[in-house]
Amino acid sequence: MVTVKLKPIEEILKYLKKEWNVGIVGCEIGSSRCKNGGLREAKKLAEVLALNGYTVAFISSPGGTCILERLKKNILRDIEEKCDVVVSLACGAGTQVLAENLDIPVITGVDTLFIGAETDSYTFKEYCIACGNCIISSTGGICPVARCPKSLLNGPCGGAINGRCEVDSSMPCIWYVIEKRMEELETIASLKLPQPPADHSKFIHPRELKVED
Amino acid sequence: MTLHEKLSSGKFVITAEIAPPRGTEWKKVIEEIEPLRGRVDAFNVTDCQRSMLRMSSIAMSKILLDSGFEPILQLTCRDRNRIALQSELLGAAALGIRNVCLMTGDFTTLGDVPQAKPVFDLDSVQLIKSVSDMNRGKLINGKDLDEPTSFTIGAVFNPFAGPKRLQVWKLEKKIRAGAVFIQTQPVYDVKTAREVAETIKDLGGKAIIGLLPIRSVRMANFMEKLNPGSVPTDLRRAVEKAENPAEYGWKYTIDLAKAISEFADGIHFMLVGKIEELADFITYLRNNHGRNE
Ligand code: SF4
Ligand code: SF4
Repeated sequence: MVTVKLKPIEEILKYLKKEWNVGIVGCEIGSSRCKNGGLREAKKLAEVLALNGYTVAFISSPGGTCILERLKKNILRDIEEKCDVVVSLACGAGTQVLAENLDIPVITGVDTLFIGAETDSYTFKEYCIACGNCIISSTGGICPVARCPKSLLNGPCGGAINGRCEVDSSMPCIWYVIEKRMEELETIASLKLPQPPADHSKFIHPRELKVED
Repeated sequence: MTLHEKLSSGKFVITAEIAPPRGTEWKKVIEEIEPLRGRVDAFNVTDCQRSMLRMSSIAMSKILLDSGFEPILQLTCRDRNRIALQSELLGAAALGIRNVCLMTGDFTTLGDVPQAKPVFDLDSVQLIKSVSDMNRGKLINGKDLDEPTSFTIGAVFNPFAGPKRLQVWKLEKKIRAGAVFIQTQPVYDVKTAREVAETIKDLGGKAIIGLLPIRSVRMANFMEKLNPGSVPTDLRRAVEKAENPAEYGWKYTIDLAKAISEFADGIHFMLVGKIEELADFITYLRNNHGRNE
């Protein structure tokens, strides 16, 4: 899922005026799961804003703030009627859908981080950077594109020491993990084959996916 | 004799490493290596090593050439995409730079401009392959070059990195892709040096063993932390006991270099430091070594 982190309150306040009626919109999919922008955090933010002398006129946390159809059905009209500004705790995608479909200013209350895998409860790790050309069937189902900071395709760099990554020793070097996994699967020999350069033309943003019926 | 000629005729080579200045004052760098003229076969010119911002390695390589030294241009994948890499290499070829040492490069955040965008469009194996293709007259997009380049390609190997098997496979990929010589991270004992040289030679590469004299206990600890298992306990103890650790470390390096010259294709001094003594040592090595003149 898409992970987010609440911004410091001062950064949010910079964009708000005391005379405005503020709406707060979270997201029950990504932001809520990582406890940084669901209904609970939206309510907490409302309390903080009230304490600072702001008026909160609307709170909602839809199940998927990036899905326009749902916003139209459930909250857009309410927001326009009650609010002068919206603070969104949804990811960058959801926040932009709000901004494009409201006449009032929309500001973000979060930094959108990455596509996270929740491997331990409430610990999210970046396992995929959506490179558009998935190669993990040939690396034991473990991704060196996302999980090696250099996205190396031909094996570990010279900074891979004692299983740790040169960039951050609190992280494993993913090539140790790939080696172990492929050893178990008895597919390790395929790592001897040289891999050609990645096709970055598949990775140019903004991308679009249109689903045909 | 050029580095290329020496390597292809099986002579023992000596390379050393210099860093371009943090600025434009290149004259000092050239003055410093003056005693090594005619002694060191070629100088690696580092490419913003450890991601520390310095003058371009291509410009510094050209300055070396103009000053009568043979450069080995180091180029990393850290700061340039494949267009920039190939374009720079064509420029280097036109300037007369013949040797390159190609590597992935340290990560950006380890250096002094951690906010910079890391590129890593190609990795070392892919870059080496692409330069081999340039030597065959082809650019990375498949288009023909007006004239093939004639680079002598080198690569690097860290014997202390892991996983072992994948490191050796990657080394093999580099050599298959066209790396002729392999320069290693600093080694501190004959046994490791011999194993590393054998690994490289078995795969068809020329083994140039890296040496970096220990100057203090602090440095011994630093190297051991950087490359665990590289600094033997005996060496560390001896450095601790030594009245003059730098002197001890230097003598140790010279002895090690002598031993290595018996089985490797060359040595690579990673810190020029005691230039005069290094110059004397190289003269000694040459006089006592049939493969180098
Ligand atoms: S290769 Fe990695 S980054 Fe690319 S799509 Fe697959 S998992 Fe995601
Ligand atoms: S240590 Fe491993 S994970 Fe880290 S940059 Fe090097 S190859 Fe990638």
